[in-house]
Amino acid sequence: MIKSIALNPQSRRRLARFKTLKRGYYSAIAVIFFIVASLFAELWINNRALIVSYEGQWYFPTYGDVIPGSEFGLDYQWETHYRKLQKQFADEGSDNWVLMPIIPFSPFENDFIEGEYPPYAPSVDSGHYLGTDMAGRDIFARIVYGFRIAILFSLFLLAVSYIVGVMIGALMGYVGGTFDLVFQRLIEILSNVPMLYVIMIVASIITPNFWTLAIMLAAFGWMGMTWYMRTETYRENAREYVLAARALGASDSRIMFKHILPNSVSILVTFFPFSVVGGITALTSLDYLGFGLPAPTPSWGELLQQGTDNMEYQWIAISAVTALSIVLTLVTFVGEAIREAFDPKKYTYYE
Amino acid sequence: MRNVSTFFSGVLLFLCSLPLLAANTLPAKLDWKTNLDAPVWADPAAAKGGTFTDFVLVFPPTLRNVGPDSNSAFRSYINANQMGLTSIHPNTHEIIPELATHWAYDPDGKTVYYKLDPKAKWSDGEPVTADDFLYTIEFMRSPHINAPWYNNYYTEQVLDVKKYDAHTISVTGAVARPKDELHYYYGLNPTPKHFYGQLNEDFTKQYNWEIIPNTGPYQISKIKKGKYVDFSRKKDWWAKDNKYNVGRFNVDKVRVKVIRDANIAYKHFEKGELDSFDLVQPDFWHNKAKGDIYDKGLVEKFLFYNDMPRSASGFFLNTANPILADQQVRIALAHALNFQRVIETVLRNDYERLEAFHTGYGEYSNAKLSARPYDLKQANALLDKAGWQQRGGDGIRMKDGQRLSLELTYGHKEHNDRWSILKQDAIKAGIEINLKLLDPSAHYKTIMQKQHEISALGWSTGFRPAFWEHFHSENANKPQTNNITNTASPEMDTLIMAYRNETDVNKRIGMAQQLAQIIHDQGAFIPSFKVTYTRGAHWRWLKFPATPGTRSSGSLYSPFGDGGLFWIDNKTKVDTMKARKGSAQYPVVSTTYDQFKTSSK
Repeated sequence: MIKSIALNPQSRRRLARFKTLKRGYYSAIAVIFFIVASLFAELWINNRALIVSYEGQWYFPTYGDVIPGSEFGLDYQWETHYRKLQKQFADEGSDNWVLMPIIPFSPFENDFIEGEYPPYAPSVDSGHYLGTDMAGRDIFARIVYGFRIAILFSLFLLAVSYIVGVMIGALMGYVGGTFDLVFQRLIEILSNVPMLYVIMIVASIITPNFWTLAIMLAAFGWMGMTWYMRTETYRENAREYVLAARALGASDSRIMFKHILPNSVSILVTFFPFSVVGGITALTSLDYLGFGLPAPTPSWGELLQQGTDNMEYQWIAISAVTALSIVLTLVTFVGEAIREAFDPKKYTYYE
Repeated sequence: MRNVSTFFSGVLLFLCSLPLLAANTLPAKLDWKTNLDAPVWADPAAAKGGTFTDFVLVFPPTLRNVGPDSNSAFRSYINANQMGLTSIHPNTHEIIPELATHWAYDPDGKTVYYKLDPKAKWSDGEPVTADDFLYTIEFMRSPHINAPWYNNYYTEQVLDVKKYDAHTISVTGAVARPKDELHYYYGLNPTPKHFYGQLNEDFTKQYNWEIIPNTGPYQISKIKKGKYVDFSRKKDWWAKDNKYNVGRFNVDKVRVKVIRDANIAYKHFEKGELDSFDLVQPDFWHNKAKGDIYDKGLVEKFLFYNDMPRSASGFFLNTANPILADQQVRIALAHALNFQRVIETVLRNDYERLEAFHTGYGEYSNAKLSARPYDLKQANALLDKAGWQQRGGDGIRMKDGQRLSLELTYGHKEHNDRWSILKQDAIKAGIEINLKLLDPSAHYKTIMQKQHEISALGWSTGFRPAFWEHFHSENANKPQTNNITNTASPEMDTLIMAYRNETDVNKRIGMAQQLAQIIHDQGAFIPSFKVTYTRGAHWRWLKFPATPGTRSSGSLYSPFGDGGLFWIDNKTKVDTMKARKGSAQYPVVSTTYDQFKTSSK
């Protein structure tokens, strides 16, 4: 599978070494599996049916528009309640049937049990395997969809900060001189702004959505990459192959994109997992404090807040803490393995 | 010669008598009343001493009692220590003396004469005199205080204050009213002239953090900005021996701390750092108020039914918004909000549905009104009629390319679950409600600037229903007024002014009920919940009279205002703090007081 991508020998060697680090390798497989599973979450955790067969016609509600109840002979115009529909078809004994996802709940749905107050403890009978939160929403659903939001947020944040950071860092190293000095001072000043406070202040005046929050965090996060890229660029710039390229008449942009960047950026991969950890943690912290994404967005931070406010319902806090611990630990294992795979020395001692 | 001297002495005599002529003269045969026969509601054996620690969620934006941002919840602490001329008995609603010892009514029906208590003193030692009341008019009419409501009220409603001597005044209002209402509508507080002096444009900034002299039992003694405000009891409070004050205001110091999160504040309470905690919120009462400290009898629980006007709480729709300007959409929205489900689930049936804006005002409330129930058929039918028939792919209605999407701003994260449930059920009607949680002061500022679409809020109440501030067009579409629905209806305006100026009680009641019906029909206010009791927990060193509250008690633990009934027993406190670690068992106390329970709307 990987052989089809053309990798230079150095990268191939690193990949091989990565594969030998079993802990990191299997963690990476697990994390990729989780991400893919959460990207397709609508197929296995959803209150929309996968397939509905009604009077000979097939419906696939999962990704499409809202199908009103009237479509299936019910007397209401809003979205069909598929679990009830399934039960109705079964009771009628007709040829119609409904195929629901494995966990038939959505993270937004308030599922109340008659005569009992939420939150409901985990139970196989009710179908809420991890229980519900204070508003009757399935915790398993909130964790999976919350994971999706957190990971996408983190990856988007990573992409934006890295692209901006790499560009500016490389420019600083390549151009040098006053440009470098000015930007260094600018970055020093900006690094001293307390990020969390500023975000909290802004979030309490306007309610951020996914994109505005990511842009705000990226605005504080791009500076981390510039230091590394600057030194790398300086180093590569002084190498002979760059000198040779320049002597041959290569333009600045060609040297930058064809020679310097490929050599420096490959090592950035070692930073990815730790940035992902940082992104997930940042979003979770902001949501926990109430300054992140608005209600009722599924979020681990919000689940943690509910859990700590209501410690007597232990399943809420336990689910959130366990999910966070597992994912962050796995990603950290991946990061350590990548770092070791990229290490030029066979044995490294960390002091 | 003799003629000239006679002439001059005559002139001299005339000139000397001018001041006497210029002074106002009291009408003859005034029937001075007082009231020392009403029942006391405190325990005269209460012990003085101790510090009572309370908390607020946000530090007040200002200590002023008028002007921008002064209308915050903290102002009740400040106002409770500013006495009025008379007061309304919290249980029997009779008039009882406060700054005035006697009062008399003018036959014109709109003027009340007051004899001031010569003992009355400001917190800085200056005596309270008639000049301070004259100054109130000057102060409240001044444009420098940046308080349009007060400017209006003290020009159009309170017309004049006259001084007869240093301790006798009269207050004249705009219209004749029933006698006890005269005190409520036209009774003024004095304003310390010696403190304010000449006002100028810097008033707002200059007095932001100034401690204004007051006449009540406590005064601010220490402020740590952002952290706490301390109130200390005046050692020689001029009114401490008055009949209705004996046994009240017993603690020496009240510290109002700022704790930004109610859950954290409860943890402080569990450690004994807060003396009491209001537990009206269902999850607090049911989930948090349990454990060792309750089982060992160290902390006691009270549930106290009260009978007072209910806060106008609910969703305020900004009719200046193009979607909400359509009355049918507003009614449809009311039918699409499933408040009953919220009550039955996350509120554990502890709250009831509020039926109308003015509830609990006795005859002045319109008992025929009921809040609109969750009825999707109605909601969908109305929206179809209003032109929103088209539904987008996500089930949300559309009209001319615009989605029926509204923003709900609110200031308390504890309400997240309640509004999330409403949001989900509203989708069935094709309405999208986006929840927007803001910091409480940011939320309040947004509302005051009329920048909201839907806002969740609850107004505090008065003695009689008030309509002008909330529904008159003069307060619409301008900032810093309480007309947050931007209601501007000529029909309502006429009726509101008629209500304001009406003298006859029965006619007023009729108008109030008519206005309530119009408010209901317009649908810019969607009522949410009411709570017909107060409940809370307190450490056992907090002692109460046999009836720990009054008919009008919003909280049993209020140290000021009509409250201040409790006292701290120091020996009990020492024993209890020691007993926290030990195994001592005290009687478990969890009492319900329903003497004031009411089932009326």
